[in-house]
Amino acid sequence: MAGPVAAQPKTVSLWHPFTLETDMIHGGIKTFNESQNDYRIDARIVPAPQMVTELIKAIASGSVPDLVTLDNPVVASFSAQGTLTDLTERVAKSTTVKPDVYFKGPWASGLWKQRIFAVPRDANTLALCYNADMFKAKGLDPDKPPKTWTELLDAAKALKDPAKNVYGFGFSAVQAEEGVFQFLPFLHQAGGAVDKLDAPEAAEALAFWADMVKDGIASRDVINQRQYEVTNTFMAGNAAMALCGPWELPRLQNEAKFEWRLALLPVKAGKDIAASALGGYNWVVPKGAKSADGAFRFIEFMSDPKILNEGWKTGRLAPRTDVTVADPLWPQAYAIYRKQLESARARGPHPQWPDISRAIQMAMQEAITGAKPPAAALADAARKIKPILAKTPL
Amino acid sequence: MPGSQPALLYVFLALPVLYLVGFVGFPIAYNLMMSVQEVNLGNITEFARPFVGLDNYRTVLADESFRKVLVNTLLFVGFNVVAQIGIGLAVALFFAQGFPGAGFLRGLLLCSWMLPALVVGALWKWIFATEYGVANYVLQGLQLTGSPIHWLSDPAVALTSVTLANIWFGMPFSMILIAAALTAIPKEQYEAASLDGAGAGARFWYITLPALRPALLAVASLVTIYTMRAFDLIFAMTQGGPLDASNVLPLLSYQFSFNQFDFGTGSAMGSFAFLIVFAVALIYVRTLKHEEVAG
Repeated sequence: MAGPVAAQPKTVSLWHPFTLETDMIHGGIKTFNESQNDYRIDARIVPAPQMVTELIKAIASGSVPDLVTLDNPVVASFSAQGTLTDLTERVAKSTTVKPDVYFKGPWASGLWKQRIFAVPRDANTLALCYNADMFKAKGLDPDKPPKTWTELLDAAKALKDPAKNVYGFGFSAVQAEEGVFQFLPFLHQAGGAVDKLDAPEAAEALAFWADMVKDGIASRDVINQRQYEVTNTFMAGNAAMALCGPWELPRLQNEAKFEWRLALLPVKAGKDIAASALGGYNWVVPKGAKSADGAFRFIEFMSDPKILNEGWKTGRLAPRTDVTVADPLWPQAYAIYRKQLESARARGPHPQWPDISRAIQMAMQEAITGAKPPAAALADAARKIKPILAKTPL
Repeated sequence: MPGSQPALLYVFLALPVLYLVGFVGFPIAYNLMMSVQEVNLGNITEFARPFVGLDNYRTVLADESFRKVLVNTLLFVGFNVVAQIGIGLAVALFFAQGFPGAGFLRGLLLCSWMLPALVVGALWKWIFATEYGVANYVLQGLQLTGSPIHWLSDPAVALTSVTLANIWFGMPFSMILIAAALTAIPKEQYEAASLDGAGAGARFWYITLPALRPALLAVASLVTIYTMRAFDLIFAMTQGGPLDASNVLPLLSYQFSFNQFDFGTGSAMGSFAFLIVFAVALIYVRTLKHEEVAG
């Protein structure tokens, strides 16, 4: 029986949480599988909230997938404790994954001690969503959204309408990482920093939030609302403005029955520090992966600007500066998020980011429920974080 | 072959023992081992990890959250057991009256129990929303409260809210077990009692309740165990917040292990949760033994 023997392609197992069929990963897997015969991507969808738990189980049982998309603030915990494959050598040889074309924030989130443990897949950040119809109804100019904290507060006061259950502003202060993600832009805009939570700047930022809840400009339920629930209240017309990420755009487009627009996050007048939080997923190859080479081939494939361009269809921004979506869906939103990404800062990277985050969550909740004044709550958080930062500074 | 019979007995005895050792004993022993070690992401695959003695337990006991959460857990479980049995008993007695459609309605009640906890949590989160939630809408409509109640965002109320939700969620299970036990009580006893002039109250007190005792004890211990495990419902409703006001031990243990990656401390918390369940199970087994001797 003569004839060419087709080499059996190697399987590369991939875990990701992207359920939207339009996400770039689905087209990417298909094209990658068809484009070559060395590797076959075998994808499994793991719901985002279970990803870390599942990965820990896989690590503990010694049978890990070859490639995982991981939420960027937890990457440092995994890389610092030696559970990920060091990609430094592979990146050095790569012609597509070149560190200098990436935005600083996303790239930093994959580094640990100058070694590269992750490659950013996508990036996201926050912007101010506002209900243009409500602006008009209250005599505000929808073409001039708030640019400073003061303007935000004034607009929110004008927009709130307790009789109709409408609040001026919505955000997430939930006892989880999401709450911290939404608070950090304000902390940085005030001139504060995570390693100086006992400074007056930090207290100003938290007081800004706590006062809005106290004065009925934001709902008391923000303390318990996850980000998608904040967007829900915005879409239902219960909040005139809200913090929201670009991943909500497909939902806003389908479900919001009014004219919604986006604006850059307001800054604090006098300080004028543009800041936002950085979110997004990183590609990581767990240590012990059977097909690390195949995994990296796929990372390179997915990092191609042509593929990254597709990300915007589901509100995913490219983590690279050399990608500009030519004819974007939601052009106004795209321009805002693209600009906002330039000032988006990585959370950490720090192996104990979850501990730091928990301390901040507690301070937020104490201040907003009125259990402690903002300054006292943050001073307690600073005290908890201090020994962590003494061991490994930010 | 008379000699083969004891041998066979040992085989049948060995099977459940092996099962218990493997599937119950091993996880408990492994958890105890992890609770005296420093376990992080880096060494979770290894068996020999740094031994830290009782350090994890000290960390747990010194943790502000833990003390609050321990009290929460006892309250949460206590109220759930009392309410689920009380309401379950009342509902079971109600449906035992045998009116048309009673069986169907009783079955319908079970639907809530079959829903995934995360779905029930999302449902109750919506019911308890301050502005647009059904709970406040009804209460204010009936003019029972003036200002809206912050069911899930007020630390003083949050534990009550998740307790209410969990009672609703778990009650049908207690109800159906009690209903089954009710049908086992011979009707003749009630007839004889009625002839002797016993009223409804006396019949309940002297016939129903004593006959139900073993069943109620079993239900109490099952509800304790289920409630000790109920963290997905709370996770969906509040993530344990605000300020750990609605947090319970299993959720805190999960957070320490899978959010903070501090598996040793998480395991130590698991040990505390295990102790509580074990104590309740022990009380149950002893009481049941006592009942049998007395009966």
